[in-house]
Amino acid sequence: MICKIEYEDNSPAKGLQRFFKQLLESQGIDALFLPVRLKDSTSIMPSLVTDPAQLENAVPLGPAFPINSGRMVSRLSYKESGRKTAVLLRPCEIRAFIELIKLKQGSRQELILIGIDCPKALTSSDYMAYMKKNPLDDDAYIEKIFSQNSNNLNGFEFSSACNTCENPFPVNTDINIILHGVDLSAGMLVESGSEAGRQVLENLNMPQASVPENRDKIVTRIKEDNSKANEAMIKSIEAKTDSILKLNAFFAQCINCYNCRNMCPVCYCKECVFNTDVFYHQPAQYYQWAEKKGIEKLPTDTVFYHLTRMAHISHACVGCGQCSNACPNDINVFELFKSVAQNTQAAFEYSPGTDENQPPPLSVFNEREFEDIVGIK
Amino acid sequence: MERFEPVIIAFVCNWCTYTAADLAGTSRLSYPSNIRLIRVMCTGMVDPQYVIKAFLEGADGVLISGCHPGDCHYINGNYKARRRIKLLKELLPRFGIEKDRLRLTWIGASDGIEFAEVMTQLNDQIIEMGPSRTKLSMGL
Repeated sequence: MICKIEYEDNSPAKGLQRFFKQLLESQGIDALFLPVRLKDSTSIMPSLVTDPAQLENAVPLGPAFPINSGRMVSRLSYKESGRKTAVLLRPCEIRAFIELIKLKQGSRQELILIGIDCPKALTSSDYMAYMKKNPLDDDAYIEKIFSQNSNNLNGFEFSSACNTCENPFPVNTDINIILHGVDLSAGMLVESGSEAGRQVLENLNMPQASVPENRDKIVTRIKEDNSKANEAMIKSIEAKTDSILKLNAFFAQCINCYNCRNMCPVCYCKECVFNTDVFYHQPAQYYQWAEKKGIEKLPTDTVFYHLTRMAHISHACVGCGQCSNACPNDINVFELFKSVAQNTQAAFEYSPGTDENQPPPLSVFNEREFEDIVGIK
Repeated sequence: MERFEPVIIAFVCNWCTYTAADLAGTSRLSYPSNIRLIRVMCTGMVDPQYVIKAFLEGADGVLISGCHPGDCHYINGNYKARRRIKLLKELLPRFGIEKDRLRLTWIGASDGIEFAEVMTQLNDQIIEMGPSRTKLSMGL
């Protein structure tokens, strides 16, 4: 089922706000979860909204991407709340959430998942720098991304995660909001992706519509462009990090703050081994390390930490770029991770977040597989 | 020239390969002392980070060895280990740690002779490969 979101005064942003207001007022939806501009602030944060009046500050399609909301939706859904919530997520947030569902850290039972064609994002520091100089016009932003397909915002480049994203279109959703290829002066489209989604849309009594023919072409072109950018990025990062020595240099500014881990939506352990006594070394240990090599950098275990994370969760990396976004010292963790994730995901033919029924590769096995890696020949 | 004596860390499972090592010992079979055994209850408990740590601390080779498929004392730990080794063999070469420095074998409890042979062969292979570049580059 495909419907049209209509709006007056040529404002898709207001049109979307009205759509969400209608949704929240409709029967069976108790709350909405979507990006909202905070009071007296330029910050846009994912928020749980129960009062329709609050939606006048909602920014469903903006350049701010302070956190991967997959993690937040996991908090809202890992146990029953007794409420039905419609959640609006970017495609990479949906993928992350699906990975968490596989780990029983979330459930879509009480959720209506709403996906959107990705509106791209600036890094948080660029977003703040941009906001100091420019006011953000939500409609102009939508126009720039979906009609002009621009890769920068008044000179501010979008995050490299967005420019190299090969899957900026939602899958696995109940409802999709479609923008690419749609004439936005005439309204935008909303499509049901499941029976639950269809029922929700039916309740809203919106006019029926159909997807314009040229959408497929635009979708293919965007995927191809991003795929090319991705290849170039991988090549460049591989050359920069093809030995442990170079990896040490790459992480020279790392202060072991573990922000990249904390903001990673698929780094799922309740207690990370790097926070345990295993890494609370005896003082004599540091001296032993120093005496072995003549010098030991502190904090220690930096590259060890990053390599361990690559081993533990690169198979589930959804490419959202929040690791780089969270780094206080501008280390491009994302590019490194994506280059590794491509190999580890290919090794197990694993595609994170696309199929709820595909189990995480390290949680299962087949009796007859990978026999070529056994033995010393 | 001084002969290169590698450092090889072997994670061996309590029920099969460690027992085989014990058998090799009581049978008075010798194997290279470059190989340092670490007994674990099952290969399925060898977290990839143990292997990473070994290489970062200067190991020239790492061996994981456990029960033959179907013989695991914990039913399927060795199958899980095999997936983790597969993962590491994808990950480590990306950072200049050659695939063949990491090995996985199945050596049963009664295979004392095989244990000694495999250890000797592995040692020869690692000597042939030379010292790990990671070790050299980190001043170890």
